[in-house]
Amino acid sequence: MLKRKISGWRIIEYSSTAIEIIGSIGIGLLAGGIILTLLGYNPFEGLSLLLFGGFGDIDYLLSRATFIMMTGLAFAIPMLSGFFNIGGEGQMYVGGLVSLLVAVYTGNGILALIVGGLAGALLGLAISALKVYRGVNEVITAIMLNWTFYYILIYLITSKFYDPLAPHESVKVPALARFGIIELGGSRIHIIFFISLALVLLAYYLLFFTKLGYEIRVAGLSPKTARYAGINPNRAILYSMFLGGLFAGFSGALNVLGFTYYIDNLLTCMHGIGFDGIGVALMGRNHPIGIIFSSIFFSMLILGGQTMQIVINAPKELADTLSGIIIIALALPYTYRMLISYIRTRRLVGKGVSSS
Amino acid sequence: MFQVADLLVMALTPMVPLLLGAVGEIITERSGVVNIGIEGIFLLSALTSAVVCFYTNNIVLALLVGLITGSLVGVLHGIISVYLRGDQIVSGVGLNLFAYGVGVITLITLWNTFGNSPPVKTVPKIIIARYPVSPLTFIAIIIAVLAWFFLFKTNAGLRLRACGEDPRAAEAMGVNIMRVRFLATILGATLAGLGGAYLSIDWVGQFTKEISAGRGFIALANVAFSNWNPLLAIIGAYIFGFFDALAIYLSITSTQPTLAYLFKVIPYLGTLAVVAIFVGRARIPAALGKPYIKE
Amino acid sequence: MSTREPVIEMENIVKVYPDGTVALRGVDLIVRKGEIHGLLGENGAGKTTLMRILYGEIKPSRGEIKIYGKRVHFRGPWDAIKAGIGMVYQHFSLVSSFTVLENLALAMSSITKISVSEVRKRAEELMDKIGFKVPLDARVESLAVGIQQRVEILKALMRNARILILDEPTSVLTPIEVEELFKTLKRLKEMGITVIFITHKLKEVKVITDTITVLRRGKVVGVVKTSDASEADLARMMVGREVILEIKKKPAKEGKTILSIENLHVRDDRGLLAVKGVTLDLREGEILGLAGVQGNGQREFAEAIVGLRRVEKGKITYMGEDITNKPTSEIYMKGIAYIPDSRAIGLVLEMDLLNNSILTRLKSFLGFGKKILWNKAKEFSYKVIKEFNVMAESIKTPIKYLSGGNQQKVLVGREVATEPKVIIAAEPTHGLDVGATEYIRSLLVKLRDSGKAILLISTDLDEILQLSDRIAVIYEGKIMAIGRPEEFTRERLGLLMGGVNA
Repeated sequence: MLKRKISGWRIIEYSSTAIEIIGSIGIGLLAGGIILTLLGYNPFEGLSLLLFGGFGDIDYLLSRATFIMMTGLAFAIPMLSGFFNIGGEGQMYVGGLVSLLVAVYTGNGILALIVGGLAGALLGLAISALKVYRGVNEVITAIMLNWTFYYILIYLITSKFYDPLAPHESVKVPALARFGIIELGGSRIHIIFFISLALVLLAYYLLFFTKLGYEIRVAGLSPKTARYAGINPNRAILYSMFLGGLFAGFSGALNVLGFTYYIDNLLTCMHGIGFDGIGVALMGRNHPIGIIFSSIFFSMLILGGQTMQIVINAPKELADTLSGIIIIALALPYTYRMLISYIRTRRLVGKGVSSS
Repeated sequence: MFQVADLLVMALTPMVPLLLGAVGEIITERSGVVNIGIEGIFLLSALTSAVVCFYTNNIVLALLVGLITGSLVGVLHGIISVYLRGDQIVSGVGLNLFAYGVGVITLITLWNTFGNSPPVKTVPKIIIARYPVSPLTFIAIIIAVLAWFFLFKTNAGLRLRACGEDPRAAEAMGVNIMRVRFLATILGATLAGLGGAYLSIDWVGQFTKEISAGRGFIALANVAFSNWNPLLAIIGAYIFGFFDALAIYLSITSTQPTLAYLFKVIPYLGTLAVVAIFVGRARIPAALGKPYIKE
Repeated sequence: MSTREPVIEMENIVKVYPDGTVALRGVDLIVRKGEIHGLLGENGAGKTTLMRILYGEIKPSRGEIKIYGKRVHFRGPWDAIKAGIGMVYQHFSLVSSFTVLENLALAMSSITKISVSEVRKRAEELMDKIGFKVPLDARVESLAVGIQQRVEILKALMRNARILILDEPTSVLTPIEVEELFKTLKRLKEMGITVIFITHKLKEVKVITDTITVLRRGKVVGVVKTSDASEADLARMMVGREVILEIKKKPAKEGKTILSIENLHVRDDRGLLAVKGVTLDLREGEILGLAGVQGNGQREFAEAIVGLRRVEKGKITYMGEDITNKPTSEIYMKGIAYIPDSRAIGLVLEMDLLNNSILTRLKSFLGFGKKILWNKAKEFSYKVIKEFNVMAESIKTPIKYLSGGNQQKVLVGREVATEPKVIIAAEPTHGLDVGATEYIRSLLVKLRDSGKAILLISTDLDEILQLSDRIAVIYEGKIMAIGRPEEFTRERLGLLMGGVNA
C-alpha cells in the first residue's frame, strides 16, 4: 500500500466538511437574498446588515451566543451516540425555571446553576429511558415534553411566581445570585459567555478524554463494533442524554441567572433557543469546538436580523427562516460524500464491466 | 352528562388535522420514509390557504392551494430523503423551522402583525347536536377508510407496504422502490396539506403563527398509536382530539384564568401517556427511515 | 452422459470484478432437460457467481449463454424470469411480515394484472400438482424455514419457471425438511422441470442429482454422472491436490490446557441452536484449527467464548476459572483476544488508528477518574504500526482509508500486542492479498511458538492444513472429528466438512 494513495485523505476530509458548511450557508444566504428581493428590499444591503449588523454590540452578540452554544451541545452530544435530542427547548425551560427558584430561595447563584442543569439532565434522561426501555420514539417524547413544560412554566410564572410589582414577569433573581459583567480591555462583557466557554471545553474534555465520551462516540459510529468491544450502546445513549439535558438546562440557567434575571410570562427570553441549538450543532458538525464558532455565527445572524429590522424595516424572522433553510441544506451533506463515492465507483467500473 | 355530550362532539373538531396528518404519514411511513415535517406542512398550508382565501374569498380554491402546498413540500422532502438519501429527520426538522419563519414573515409583510391574521371566510358548518361540525370531518374519515382499503386490499398498496418492510425483497419482486417511496411521500404530505388548510380556513378562521402548536407531532404520535393502520388512526385522532377539546373546555369553564395554561398541557401529556403505554407493542415498518441503497 | 437436449449452455464464462478479483476463469456448463444438475464446490469456488450470471443479476466479463439453444443477453433478472428461469436464494426474497398469499400476489403483480383470488386459485392448483401444501394465509415469519422455501419454489413456478436454480437450499433445513425437499424436487423432475442444485454437501448431491459439475477456484474441475462418482472422488475434485506452500514450522511445544469448553450449546440470531454440544480443549503453544464451511456454528461458538452471546448450556473454563457468560470487557482484560471475521465489527472504520487501538482494552488506558491516557495510547499505536508493518500516514488517519490488508493488520495487531494468552482468530486472512496473508500466517505461528493458544477458525483448507497443530471439523454445530493434521487427508477433510462421517 503506497503512502501516495492515502495522503489525500486529510484533504478530502477537511475540504468536504468545509464545502458542506460553506455550501449550506451559501444556499441559505442565497435564499435569503431572493426572499428579500421578493419583498422589495435591496438584497445586498439586507444581507450585509444580516451578516455584519451584529457587531455593533459585541457583548450582546457573545451573550446570545452563550445560550445557543449550550443548546448546541444539547443536540450534539446525544447525536454522537446516535440519538436525536430535539427536546433541548423543554430541557432548557426546566433548567431556567429551576435555577430561578433555587436562586430565589437560596440566594446562591452557583447552586442554582448546577441544580438547573441537573433538572434538564433528568428530563433528558427520561426521554432516552422511554426510548431504550419502552421503545417510545424520542422525537415524539421530546416535542410533547417541550410543549408540556412550555405551558407548565407559563402557568407557574403567571399564577405562582410572578413579581407583584410587574405581574408580566416572574420574581427576580436576587442580586447576590446573579452572574454579572466583567471589564475586559475596555469592553464590558457578561461573564456567562466565559462560563459557557468553560462548559464547552468541559464537554470537549468529557467527549474526547474520558471513558464515557469514548463509549458514546463508538456507540454512535458503529453500534456493532461497540458491542464487540463490550460497550453497551443503550447505556451510552442514556449517558449522552443526561449530558445533553444538562447543557440545555445550563442554557436556561445561564440565561436567567446571568442575562435577563427573570423569566417573562411568554418565555420570550428563551423561546426558540433550543431549536436554534440544533442548527448550531449541525453547522458545528456536532463537535464542541465547532459549536463555539457556529454559535457565534448564528448569533451574528440573529442580531443582524434585528439590525436589518431597524435599519431597513425587514422582518427579523428572516433569520429564523434562514436557520431552517440552512438546516435543510445541512441535511444534504451526505449527498456530497455519496457523489464522491459514486464518481469513484464509476471510474473503477470502466468499460462494460458490470458494477457488481 | 349534558356537558360530556358537548365535549364528545367538540372533539370532532381538533380530530381532523390529527387524522389527516396521521393517515398521510401512515402512507409515507409504510413505504419506508419518515417525514416529521408534518408540523411545518400544517403551518405552510394553513398560511397559503389563508392568504388565498383572504384575497379571493374562494374556499375551494384555498383548500386546493393548501393541498398543493403540501404536495410541494412532499416533493422537496421526497427528493432529499429518497433520491439524495439525506437524513430524513434533519430534513424534517429544517422544514418545521423554515415553515415557522415563513409564517411569521408573511404575517408581518402582508398584514403587519406579529400574531394573527385578519379573519377569513371559513368552510360552512353542519350543525350536529347544537354544535357546528365541519364537513371536512367526514371527508377526513372517508379518506382514512379509503387509505385503509388502498393499503390492505389492493395490489398497489401491497407493493407500497413491501417497500417499507423489506425493500430488498420487494425489488427482487419487481417493485421500483424509489418511485413508490417518492410518490408515497408526496401523497402523505398532500393529506397533511389538507389538514393544515383546515386549521386556518375551517377551524380557527385565521392564520396565527402558533396555529399548529405541535399538532403535527401529535399526528405523528397517532401514527404510532394506530400501529400504522388508518382505521385505528381515526380512533386515535379522536382520542387525542378529545384531549385538546378537554383543555379548551376546561379553560373556558374554569374559574381561575391562569389555570388555562395548565389545561393546555393535557393534549401533550395525554399523547405522551398514550404513546408510552401502548406503543411499546407497535410494529414499525421494518425498513422505516433507512435510505434504500442498492447493493 | 444423457442424450437429452441441453436446456442451458454456458460457454467460457469469465467474471472479473472491478477490484481485480477473478471469480470465474472460463467456465462451461451444460444442463440437460429435465435433469437435476448439481453444482458442487467449496466457498468461493464460483458457484453462486455463475448462477447469478445465469439469472441475469450480474453480467459476465466474457462468454455466452444459450437457453434452449438460443443465445440470450439478460439485462436483469426480469429477462431471466421471462425466459423461464427461477432462482431460490439461500436468503429468501420474501417479505416476512406478509402472508404467503400476499407475497405471491406481490411477486405476480409485477408481471401481470391479476386479482388476489386468481392468485389463490393458481397457487392451490400448483400445490396440488406438486404435492405439497403451504398455508396461504399464514405470515411468512411464522413458518418453518422449510415451508418458507416451498413458498419460494411456488413463487418461481407461478411465474412459469421451467428451470429452477436452488442456491444451497439445504443449509437452512433440518434433516426431515431436506427429505421433504428432495421429494418435491423429484416431483418437479417428473413435471419436466430442470433443476440446478448448488451445494457443498457431498451426501446430498449424491442422493438427489443426476449429473454433477464440480467447480474449484473459478474453474470446472470435472463433470460426472452422479452414479459414476463416489463421495471420495467428489471430495478430491472439490478440494484439489495442489502443492501447498509449506510454512516452515517447528513441532509444537504443547503446554497445559488453558481454555476448556464443555458441552457448549449456543443459539443463533434466529433462536435456533447453532452450537449443539461442543467439547474442546485449547492448549498453550498450539494452533487448533476449526475447519468447516461458513454457517455451521463457528461464529456463534467464538462469540459465546468471549461473552458476546449467551451460553445456553455448558461451561467455559479459562485458567481454572469459570468464565461462562461473563461480561465481554472482563474476558478481554483477562487475556483472551477475539479477532472477528469482519473488519467492520472489529474496528470503528470512521475512527482513526489511535482511537481504534484502545477499543478492546480500554481499562488499561485509563488513568485517574476514567481519564484516557492518550500518550499511552499513542505509544501503543506506534508499537502496533511498527511491529505489524502497517502502512498508514499517521495514527490520526481514519481507518477506512487504509487498504484491507492494513486494516486487518491493525485489527490483528491491536489484539495481539496486548500479549493475550488465548487468541481466537476468525478468517484472519479473508480478502487479503498474498503478501498480507503470508504475513498474518507466519505471525500466528510465531505467536504459537511463544506459548500462546490459538483457535483458528477458517473456511480456507490450505490455511487450516498449513497452520494447525490439531484440527477439528465442525458441521451443523457439532464436532465431526478432532485430530492431528497427519490424520487427515484433504479428501477426508472435504468429506467431514460436507457432513460425511469419514
